[in-house]
Amino acid sequence: MDDAGFPSPHSGRFATTRWSIVQAAGVQATPNSRHALEELCATYWYPLYAYVRRRGYQADDAQDLTQSFVLSLLERNAVQRADPDRGRFRSFLLGSLNKFLSDETRKQGAQKRGGDRKILSINVDDVENRYQLEPTDDITPEAVFERRWALTVLDAALTRLQGDYERVGKLPLFEALRGHIGADKSTIPNREVAESLSMQEGAVKVAAHRLRQEYRDALRAEIAQTVTNSKELDDELTGLFQTLSGT
Amino acid sequence: MADDQICPKCGAPLPADVAPGHCPKCLMQVGFESQDQAVADPAEAPTAVSGHSGVTWDLDQLASLFPELEIIKQVGIGGMGVVYQARQKQLDRFVAVKLVRPDLCDDPTFSERFTREARAMARLSHPAIINVFDFGQREQFYFFIMEFVDGTNLRQLMQSEGLDATQALAVVPQICEALQYAHDEGIVHRDIKPENILVDTKGRIKIADFGLAKLINPEATDFTLTGAKQVMGTPHYMAPEQLERPLEVDHRADIYSLGVVIYEMLTGELPLGRFSSPSEKVQIDVRLDEVVLRALQKEPEKRYQQVSGIKTDIEAVSASPTGHSPRQSVVPPTVRQAFNNLQYPGYGLYCVVNC
Repeated sequence: MDDAGFPSPHSGRFATTRWSIVQAAGVQATPNSRHALEELCATYWYPLYAYVRRRGYQADDAQDLTQSFVLSLLERNAVQRADPDRGRFRSFLLGSLNKFLSDETRKQGAQKRGGDRKILSINVDDVENRYQLEPTDDITPEAVFERRWALTVLDAALTRLQGDYERVGKLPLFEALRGHIGADKSTIPNREVAESLSMQEGAVKVAAHRLRQEYRDALRAEIAQTVTNSKELDDELTGLFQTLSGT
Repeated sequence: MADDQICPKCGAPLPADVAPGHCPKCLMQVGFESQDQAVADPAEAPTAVSGHSGVTWDLDQLASLFPELEIIKQVGIGGMGVVYQARQKQLDRFVAVKLVRPDLCDDPTFSERFTREARAMARLSHPAIINVFDFGQREQFYFFIMEFVDGTNLRQLMQSEGLDATQALAVVPQICEALQYAHDEGIVHRDIKPENILVDTKGRIKIADFGLAKLINPEATDFTLTGAKQVMGTPHYMAPEQLERPLEVDHRADIYSLGVVIYEMLTGELPLGRFSSPSEKVQIDVRLDEVVLRALQKEPEKRYQQVSGIKTDIEAVSASPTGHSPRQSVVPPTVRQAFNNLQYPGYGLYCVVNC
């Protein structure tokens, strides 16, 4: 339909996203662009960490390396080195991290620089505990990174939605239905949910349908933060889906 | 969770590190789904598609425009504008904020018409009609602040779970009551369609956007002078005279649109072209054929003259069920013939307005 010219995840116009802010700023980082990059790095810290761990680094080293890599990005405006043809944040980040790890000098220096500084509030014990749950199959660091990235996107979308429901006082409804967002609608226990929340069964069905639509929007909005146009968004969604399908 | 658990939907093995019920593949798949048909399908969108100013706002700017509100999220968008859920800070209640598309307000007479129509809408006070609390202009945006309905609309209801005949028949009398009240007040909706019929979590009907279509398309001359693109409304639900003689539209246009909505609720399809009677498509009481046919008459004078008539007839059917009729039903031959002869008059024109 026609682009209505409003702020909208539905409109044809592609909204300003964190990654587009960072890219637009380039070498001339602004407070906004730095903040945007920081938020992106905080969201996707764990996929980076999992990648470094799978590359063979021990937990302590991997934490330091990941943290100092992120710090170096933020401090050095390293975005200037982003290849404009590889517009996605995910590709940029993995490329940059590889470069970072292969640079022995930087690696050693980085540990001193960033080792003890917690520029992003990452709970280091948690991340290692999470890493211990990663599949132990013989998969490559890149595959770990891609898969973990995809799961992070899903989590971020759920968290975003959870916040929305909490703000309007409907957290119990969200909690009751969150496990069924991707499910076949015929398997949703509408009656049980209706009874537990004192709602009509029909209202629960509608709520479940609506939650699914909202999740769809939140998911696309989350991916949109890491790309710069709608074609990339669709490509990225397809790529993430393929990652999770093992294809 | 054991490693060998599989997703009951897609059959993929469920990873050990994801929460139960969160098959990542199925969740990511949701991203490919289309938006509600109401939003995504151009055929369902209103047809006022003239150029627009292209002004882009972000939510922060919107918040500065409405300091008295906490803008929560966007809840809908259509050809008319966009709707946000917001909280009135002072009253601590949720409201819906509807912003009219700036490009639709270019007409120098818009401001006056907007005030007139908004006041007419605000006068309507009925439990099944969305209340208008306030309206006005902030910068280039004309807005309404309206009652927020926690629920869904008929379109989503049809898409999410489908409606059986009993459910459909339960909502029709509520719609009729609200429309009859508005018609008695001299107000014609002009854009009755499933998207404008909201259903709250208690199952109660709330009709939205009374008279808004008139606001955008005030004069018949718009159609002839500035081209078909100015026709506002949703063609599939519009009465023939709305397209052909917009100046002559009266409350019976709403009756026609309601007929389309009832047909769609019963059959899941729109009455396009030489459409079949509802009982030919689904197993329902054949008496409903007559109700729908009468509402869908091309000539307004052959339709129900009051929407309350639909309510009376529908309630009579509900009150004395005769059981489901077989597909080859006992529809009187005259009625069936009439259905067969009924060519949806707006359809050809619809193609024109969208070109």
